[in-house]
Amino acid sequence: MAKPTDIIKKKRAEAVSRIISKGYLSSKRVYVGMATCEIAAGSKEVMEVFKNAVTKGGLTDVYLSQKGCAGRCNLEPTVEVIEVGKNPVRYGKINPEKAQQIIDKHLKKGEVIKEWVID
Amino acid sequence: MSKEYIITICDGTGCIQKGNAAIRKALEQQLKDHNLTNDVRINLSGCLGMCDKGPIVVINPGYTIYGNVTPADIPEIVEEHLVRGQPVARLAIQEDHLYNRFFRIFGDAKFFGKQMRIALRNCGIIDPENIDDYLSLRGYEALAKVLTDMTPKQVIEEVKLSGLRGRGGAGFPTGVKWQLTARAGSLNSPRAASDEKYVICNADEGDPGAFMDRSAIEGDPHTVLEGMIIGGYAIGAKQGIVYIRAEYPLAVRRLEKAIADAREHGFIGKNILGSDFSFDIDIRLGAGAFVCGEETALIRSIEGGRGMPRPRPPYPSVEGLFGKPTLINNVETWANIPVVILDSGKWFSTIGTERSKGTKVFALAGKVVNTGLIEVPMGTTLREIIYDIGGGIPDNKEFKAVQTGGPSGGCLPAKYLDTPVDYESLAKAGSIMGSGGMIVIDQDSCMVDIAKFFLEFTQNESCGKCTPCREGTKRMLDILIKITEGKGEMYDIENLKRLGSMIKKASLCGLGQSAPNPVLSTILNFREEYEEHVKDKKCRAGVCKKLLTYEITDKCVGCGACKKACPVAAITGTAKAKHVIDQNKCIKCGACFSKCKFDAIIKK
Repeated sequence: MAKPTDIIKKKRAEAVSRIISKGYLSSKRVYVGMATCEIAAGSKEVMEVFKNAVTKGGLTDVYLSQKGCAGRCNLEPTVEVIEVGKNPVRYGKINPEKAQQIIDKHLKKGEVIKEWVID
Repeated sequence: MSKEYIITICDGTGCIQKGNAAIRKALEQQLKDHNLTNDVRINLSGCLGMCDKGPIVVINPGYTIYGNVTPADIPEIVEEHLVRGQPVARLAIQEDHLYNRFFRIFGDAKFFGKQMRIALRNCGIIDPENIDDYLSLRGYEALAKVLTDMTPKQVIEEVKLSGLRGRGGAGFPTGVKWQLTARAGSLNSPRAASDEKYVICNADEGDPGAFMDRSAIEGDPHTVLEGMIIGGYAIGAKQGIVYIRAEYPLAVRRLEKAIADAREHGFIGKNILGSDFSFDIDIRLGAGAFVCGEETALIRSIEGGRGMPRPRPPYPSVEGLFGKPTLINNVETWANIPVVILDSGKWFSTIGTERSKGTKVFALAGKVVNTGLIEVPMGTTLREIIYDIGGGIPDNKEFKAVQTGGPSGGCLPAKYLDTPVDYESLAKAGSIMGSGGMIVIDQDSCMVDIAKFFLEFTQNESCGKCTPCREGTKRMLDILIKITEGKGEMYDIENLKRLGSMIKKASLCGLGQSAPNPVLSTILNFREEYEEHVKDKKCRAGVCKKLLTYEITDKCVGCGACKKACPVAAITGTAKAKHVIDQNKCIKCGACFSKCKFDAIIKK
């Protein structure tokens, strides 16, 4: 019988391939903070904007995911854009309008909106 | 060079000793020589946990880690990696540790870089509702390792070796607790260890302003479950229970989903991962009573009774839920377990101070620029937390005190800012570690009022079972209210101290034993404020309403706005002439103060 460590290796490989099949290897990954605190600050609406862009707005090659709270309470809602080969970009205090701008400028044209970046 | 690089130099104690300053100097010189100063950002991080391979230098993008770096290596790193884009294989080290996962994404931000994340390693990194995300980051591998290679005894030894202590506040060594529970029931007849045991996760987080457990569960529920299953294996339990407050609906929902997903994958249930170990986890919702965070009250609540503590011993490890040996640990403690197993107890014990190992999560709140959830190695000083991570006090105001440990803790003034955060040092300074609340207080807060706030809370939450806590906190609160209303006498301060120490000694459970702490510590450290309230009938921060007087200055233009706002007609004056407040009529509501557009009304 297979050892637990072998089973878990197989499960991890399956999990990774499931994540990849959802588009993880897209050129950009977008994470929206969705803990209670972030939702209270308005992250659900922000998430909607990104979801709409992916499903209806023709935004392609982007992997969209929710995430838990990273700890920046005073800058919530937060959004991260991660691109292979580039430094991760963290945006703070994002609202639906700003989210739309991130889509138009950063995700579509590759321009980082520096004034919203958390450093 | 086509990219912008961020170079992180580890600035933990280990790397400082190994000479990271010389590396930084060499790096700055090399960047200057290659005219790269504007394209490369140098960043100092807190301990990265790789002290044995220090000094450590990390280069992003790409997250290349260089170990054992000497100043002589720097020219090669700059030329090969930064100029040609070819990482230096000779110096690069491969790390597949669990801790600090967040560092790749957040490491160069000042707020995050000084932190080390073990319990919160996946928070803000993964989708908490997708078990695949957790699995992809070696999730449940610790469980598999335990089931394949380790006996329950070995697991307990590993946890003992790590030096992990209870993160709920009391700081009892976790491994010892596990061992006691594992052995329980076997005292009288060595071969008959109790066949029924329970594992409980205490997620009844009740401190005002604390949100560590909520964030941990909402951000990464599986790590808590994995810790619990490993705990169950170690002590020989078949059933685990998460006791979580109903006020955390999202955390409960994510936990429910996590349990369902884990069950589907065979991590919970019968014959976990094909082994002969079976374990199940249920959720019990608490109704939000603060006292239910106390372990015996929590157990009573799960049993269906009213949440009230009982005297210990017997401790839950011997006689807990339904009279059976019960292992009860806090959310953060459980979240540390998979790291202790996979990154090893030995590694874990290298982090922190001599007697407090690992990291601690704090909910940083109050008058600080960057409020938030942080995790720092034990031994980090309060100053580093408040100024380096927290960014200091907003609006250039003066730091007055830091409150740790919530309603059970104390207030520490500026002279204790260099106290390292660990169980013993905080206790020595007159406060406690607690579960991780940390509230920064500035000059605008009245210490008597703060003490009153916390005592009001504990007094409300006192379950009423024992007299010292039920009656004592009420009387202490009466005295505090008297003082803040300007009716205090000097003997009141002594009475508070006497009553406080009596309640601490005589109360049944931790709630009462610690309830006087905020009052006693503020009397100890800010006695002059109490005396001002009593003798001069003054509140220097202008918080205690009854001690304030409002006055209209010569700035008054006679607009009459204050007169209209005053609910008791205490303000008189004709249009375009200076108005006057009748102090006998004034009820100090502050309505005039907030209405005045000319800053003509002052609080004294």
